[in-house]
Amino acid sequence: MNKIETLCLLCSQPLQTAISWKIILTKQFQPTICDRCSARFEYSSTATALYQYNDAMKDYLHQYKFLQDVALAKVFRQELHARLTHEKATIIPIPMHPLKQRERTFSHMEELLKATNIPFIQLLEKTTTETQSSKNREQRIQTAPLFRLIEGVHVEHKEYLLFDDIKTTGTTLRHATEVLLNAGAKNVKSFTLING
Amino acid sequence: MTYKGWLLPPGLRDFHEGRIWLKEHSPFSKEDIEKSINLQYFYIIEGIQKEPHLRCNRCHNKNPQHFTTFDCSKCQQQCIYCRHCLNMGRVSSCTQLLIWTGPRAIRARKHSLRWAGQFTVLQQQAANEILESVKAGRSHLLHAVCGAGKTELLFPTVHYALEQGMRVCIATPRTDVVLELYPRFQKVFPQTMIHALYGGSPKREGYAQLVLATTHQLYRFERAFDVMIVDEADAFPYTFDETLQSAVQQAKTEDAPLLLVTATPSLKLLTQFQNESYSFIPKRFHDYPLPVPRFHSLWSYEKSLKRGKIPRKLKQWTEERLARKEPFLLFFPKVELMKIATPLFQLLDGGIVAVHAGDPERKGKVLKLRDEEVPGLLTTTILERGITIKNVQVAVIGAESTIFNSSALIQIAGRVGRNADFAGGDVVFFHHGITTEMDNARTKILYYNKKGFST
Repeated sequence: MNKIETLCLLCSQPLQTAISWKIILTKQFQPTICDRCSARFEYSSTATALYQYNDAMKDYLHQYKFLQDVALAKVFRQELHARLTHEKATIIPIPMHPLKQRERTFSHMEELLKATNIPFIQLLEKTTTETQSSKNREQRIQTAPLFRLIEGVHVEHKEYLLFDDIKTTGTTLRHATEVLLNAGAKNVKSFTLING
Repeated sequence: MTYKGWLLPPGLRDFHEGRIWLKEHSPFSKEDIEKSINLQYFYIIEGIQKEPHLRCNRCHNKNPQHFTTFDCSKCQQQCIYCRHCLNMGRVSSCTQLLIWTGPRAIRARKHSLRWAGQFTVLQQQAANEILESVKAGRSHLLHAVCGAGKTELLFPTVHYALEQGMRVCIATPRTDVVLELYPRFQKVFPQTMIHALYGGSPKREGYAQLVLATTHQLYRFERAFDVMIVDEADAFPYTFDETLQSAVQQAKTEDAPLLLVTATPSLKLLTQFQNESYSFIPKRFHDYPLPVPRFHSLWSYEKSLKRGKIPRKLKQWTEERLARKEPFLLFFPKVELMKIATPLFQLLDGGIVAVHAGDPERKGKVLKLRDEEVPGLLTTTILERGITIKNVQVAVIGAESTIFNSSALIQIAGRVGRNADFAGGDVVFFHHGITTEMDNARTKILYYNKKGFST
């Protein structure tokens, strides 16, 4: 995963990386996509998300999650690193159901964090294999508990930051937050890559 | 009493014969696939070959840049996957590729050829030569100028091969060409099951003995075809991407003849074939000479367009076409420049539209030009080949750009005068300095005309 990309991960055009003092002296990541592709993404105006959902994001998620292009986990590492590196709360990525994960061969949220070198832990377990995207708004809001705590973990008096890829109705994050708060967590915040 | 054993579904055999396919992506049920594997109807190979060096067993990609390693949750190991053919479903170390070795599909021997056209003397000669080569199992290069009627030349050969029970593939690097060939072949071979395969093509049932496909789709075939025809064998990206060339070799059986068809063969191809099996048609089917391009200087056209002004000579040319109601194509070297220029041209006539490779309406726009619903099209090199529009006039803007090499320019000039009633027409290369590629294109066209009309 640490190899240096010479072609843009999204459009395969050669990457022109000008070596600068900033890259050498600070611990910046090498860019993985070209300027034209990165200009297609739109920053979110909210504080709890990095990007706004648009066509470029749709293509990205399709290639990353559906076509299983794990290499794309690196695309947003610089931005994610900048946002999460000073985070004091413990980061928990939203988990996948083990069967689902085997099917996709990787956990897309964990890979995003691994690519950024941000430490995280997993305290939750997904209980269903249903996907949120297959349900409509009403079904999502009235859904049964999606997560449970992994047996034997203690969350009392600690602060957590939940990390998910996209927030549409907020049901997933609400469920996970409730599980943690009911188990005695002091504070649970959430952060998503994309605001839907 | 009912039969309790398992019978091979004919659809499974028809689909998988000749194909190399991801096990998880088979359109048939898991149970049927497992049963077939147990009966050794499938030969299974790993997706990524590690020895002697990394190689994707589907697309033959060997470039290490296109491989990515990750921790796989399925096999609990470090897995490598190929990003080169990702769009066709990911191939990784732990995926299995299926190759059919079971019973063969039933091939029809009755194929009718419904075509009433007449060959010219030159066409007839070339058609005979191709047929001879295929009969002898020899590879062949057909070099014929734009508008010589290359597709028709293939009919007798394809018909012969089908009747012999051979499986035939006509591959081309361009989706547009597949889309244009498909209805034509359906009409000419009404009894034959034909499949057209391209990125995003609908699923088709049954066993096709004649397959029209983009060269990319050939990654999905293995030792399938007894005759392989590559149309527009010089088009991008076929000559540029080595894996496509190896895909063609892989998709045909080992001793199947390879038939290359092009208007602009590379020097390499010419030297390879010229001395043995090579047919050359320097003349169009309607017996009129090829239109010779004119060179016209258009200094600093880019600056002028960026300032919001169409250069005077170009404006004159366009207005003349509009006044005479002649459809026209304007070729641009870059999409960006074309986008700047589009609103300027729309001031001359609101109907003018632009097409580029990523345009979803590209097919519809070309049809509109053909039906005279729009006066003209602005385009990038995507329309350089495969399209025929009656009485079309062509201008290239910035013919000195590197993207316009001599074969692209010959192809562009070849759009003009393809109809017997409108055999003439204007081809202008507007330029900011003449390049050798432009000169080469013109010299070659003049040479073809001289060859074709020497007697």
